[in-house]
Amino acid sequence: MLNRREFLTMAAALCTAFGVSNLPEPVAAALKQIDPRTIPKLLYLQGQSCSGCSISLLQAKEPSPLTLITRYCQLAFHTDLSATSGSQAMSLIERYLAGQAGPYILALEGAIPEKMPAACMIGDKSLASLLESAAKTMTAAIAIGACACDGGIPGAEGNLTGAIGLPEFFAQRHSKKPLIQIRGCSVHPDWVWQTVVHLVKIGMPALTEAGSPKLFFDRTIHETCPRYHDFQEEIFAAKLGDSGCLFKLGCLGPQTKADCSSRWWNGGQTWCINVNAPCIGCASPLFARQKDMPFYRMNKKKA
Amino acid sequence: MKIELGPLSRIEGHLNVKTTVTDNVVVDAQCVGEMFRGFEVILRGRDPLDAQQITQRICGVCPYAHAIASSYAQEIAYGITAPANGRILHNLIQGANHLFDYLLHFYQLSALDFVDITAIANYKGSDPELVQVRDWVKAELASKKAFPGAPFLPRLEGQYLKDDDLNIGALKHYIEAMEMQKKANRASAIFGGKFPHATGIFPGGCTQKPTIDHISAYQALIEEVRDFIQQKYIPDLLAVAHGFPDYWHIGQSRGGFMSFGLLPFTPASDSRRLFASGLVLDGQVQPVDFDLITEDIKYARYSSASGLKVNEGELTPAPEKNGAYTWIKAPRYNGQMVEVGPTARILVDYLQGNNPQVTTLVDRFAGMAGIRAEELNSVLGRHLCRAISAVVIADFLLAETERIDPGAPAALELEIPATGEGFGATEASRGALLHYIRLQNHKIEKYECVVPTTWNCSPRDDKGNPGAMESALIGTKVANPAVQIESVRIVHSFDPCLACAVH
Repeated sequence: MLNRREFLTMAAALCTAFGVSNLPEPVAAALKQIDPRTIPKLLYLQGQSCSGCSISLLQAKEPSPLTLITRYCQLAFHTDLSATSGSQAMSLIERYLAGQAGPYILALEGAIPEKMPAACMIGDKSLASLLESAAKTMTAAIAIGACACDGGIPGAEGNLTGAIGLPEFFAQRHSKKPLIQIRGCSVHPDWVWQTVVHLVKIGMPALTEAGSPKLFFDRTIHETCPRYHDFQEEIFAAKLGDSGCLFKLGCLGPQTKADCSSRWWNGGQTWCINVNAPCIGCASPLFARQKDMPFYRMNKKKA
Repeated sequence: MKIELGPLSRIEGHLNVKTTVTDNVVVDAQCVGEMFRGFEVILRGRDPLDAQQITQRICGVCPYAHAIASSYAQEIAYGITAPANGRILHNLIQGANHLFDYLLHFYQLSALDFVDITAIANYKGSDPELVQVRDWVKAELASKKAFPGAPFLPRLEGQYLKDDDLNIGALKHYIEAMEMQKKANRASAIFGGKFPHATGIFPGGCTQKPTIDHISAYQALIEEVRDFIQQKYIPDLLAVAHGFPDYWHIGQSRGGFMSFGLLPFTPASDSRRLFASGLVLDGQVQPVDFDLITEDIKYARYSSASGLKVNEGELTPAPEKNGAYTWIKAPRYNGQMVEVGPTARILVDYLQGNNPQVTTLVDRFAGMAGIRAEELNSVLGRHLCRAISAVVIADFLLAETERIDPGAPAALELEIPATGEGFGATEASRGALLHYIRLQNHKIEKYECVVPTTWNCSPRDDKGNPGAMESALIGTKVANPAVQIESVRIVHSFDPCLACAVH
């Protein structure tokens, strides 16, 4: 049986993930102080990914990545940062998946090759089999990036491996565990880390219909675009490198829900449209989906 | 005994290495790429201008190298030449990405192989970041967690640096490097729009029109990164080298070296580059001919034909194929195995005397270490060649910013022809990168990528000859065959990127 302290620790971790109200007082106090015993442990696995989301997570400004992984959560395992490897790493992963290392939140970056399990292996296990174990033992899951949410580029037309995202994979297996979807190719670091902070300090964030935190994904890029004025005044870029509204070059800001236009990227340095580059809709569930839907419209008349 | 080193961590992606050890010597090694997506098929039939976006998603660590190689290939296919500003911005974006990548590789991906992170428990100073880490480590170790101290613990058993001051200093720089890599990426984003996966890079240049505010911000960021490279990265690397001198002789690959050259001086497709292109076989340099590159697939999980040239490449996955042990194809140059990457880039340049700064730095550091240029083919040699690349690139980028014509366009109006083809070649941080595009009816008919880690983590070719990393592992003495920290250090010295290798 669990002793009282172990029970509180686990209860706090569960409440943190679920956002349950009416917490017992000691647990509530523990949450406010970010008790290191109760921070969520992230088991971060990579599927058919490019690591771009992981690299983007290292671009966090405030809090810094180091503070995030020491104060707000614990990275139980991450391919790019973990010191351990080989059988030592594999037994760590498997102990978490067996439910023997305490409560944890699954973080997945990358798609799942549903029709070709051999197309993504971790050690001698297929990613798909590891995720099936996780569905039973995890507290909740965060799908990180276009690939983990919808299949992304590996799941685009021409998909040879049956690549799909985590929501579809878990739905097929009737998992009812909470799942937060954070789109983007790559994700913006704030979208993920501030969701983790939200889990720690407040609980489960409010989600859009697409399963993403409303805090970041409630409005289209176009609605809050600094060039919305150009759009209204019909000041359009006619060719690459022009300033003005990029709509006529194929900008997908009107179809893409994300807060890039107010948040900007790389510590607020800049963002796509600020360098006159049309939005390619990387935070949309339809990103890169179809071959006959090109990113840009400038060659339309010749196609 | 047979020992698997996978899943390897502190690399990009899914790599296993299957070793056979006899009397504490690795007698066989197989590099196993464990993830496959099928980019070439996904690209087929798309608008050609999707290519420099889609191919960036091959790799989120070096996306710009893919965008640049794709842009070079498309420029040839379209018959266009970038304006001077366009090529300069390509260089500023790609070069800053190299600087980020070298810092990430040395501190985040490699340092924990050598530096004793537990030394922090003895820290008695007052640096706030180190105090934060010390208190965190102590609290973790006192907790009853199943795995305290993750992701820094547990770690592999082995000999680490013994000097506490060096260990703690390197740890401080590990933390600082996390800030520095962001600055390098902010610099490239000024012109590319964001990192990773820039939307501002196109064939013929970049959409950002460079003005003085962009230029001065870029310069300030790169100057900070350059100072960190010179004042911290290089001394830390030399401290590791001093603590582990055997690694000048451990991890030699047994083939040739190839570099495609990096950072062109002018927009012309045949421009001289900051680092020269070339192939080194038996100590002799020769020019590279893309027509002599073929890919064997006897041991790779494909059923398509073996030995095809790049512009004939095919991709038919066969996950259950008999005898195949990896998703990585086996590229060969005129039938020869070659290593690509920092050592190849530096040796190819040094042996041709292309860049005087490269010559000076190789002579200086090799002299300090008491080694010959040939000994750059080793674990420490690869680390040193990355650092030399970093110094040379940082200086070049700052000089390059002075050549920008502020306010002049950096992009071309693009018209996609119905047909055309082109090769685009550059150096990703991990080595020689080749893209090939062929158009038909204004669409992509064929797209092929031959990527650095495809060369380095190559399996046996059809003749049974091992790839570069396999050959570097075979013959290695290991103290504990079950753990093989020596082999892990060799693997890390190549900086494998598996998402690139298979794609």
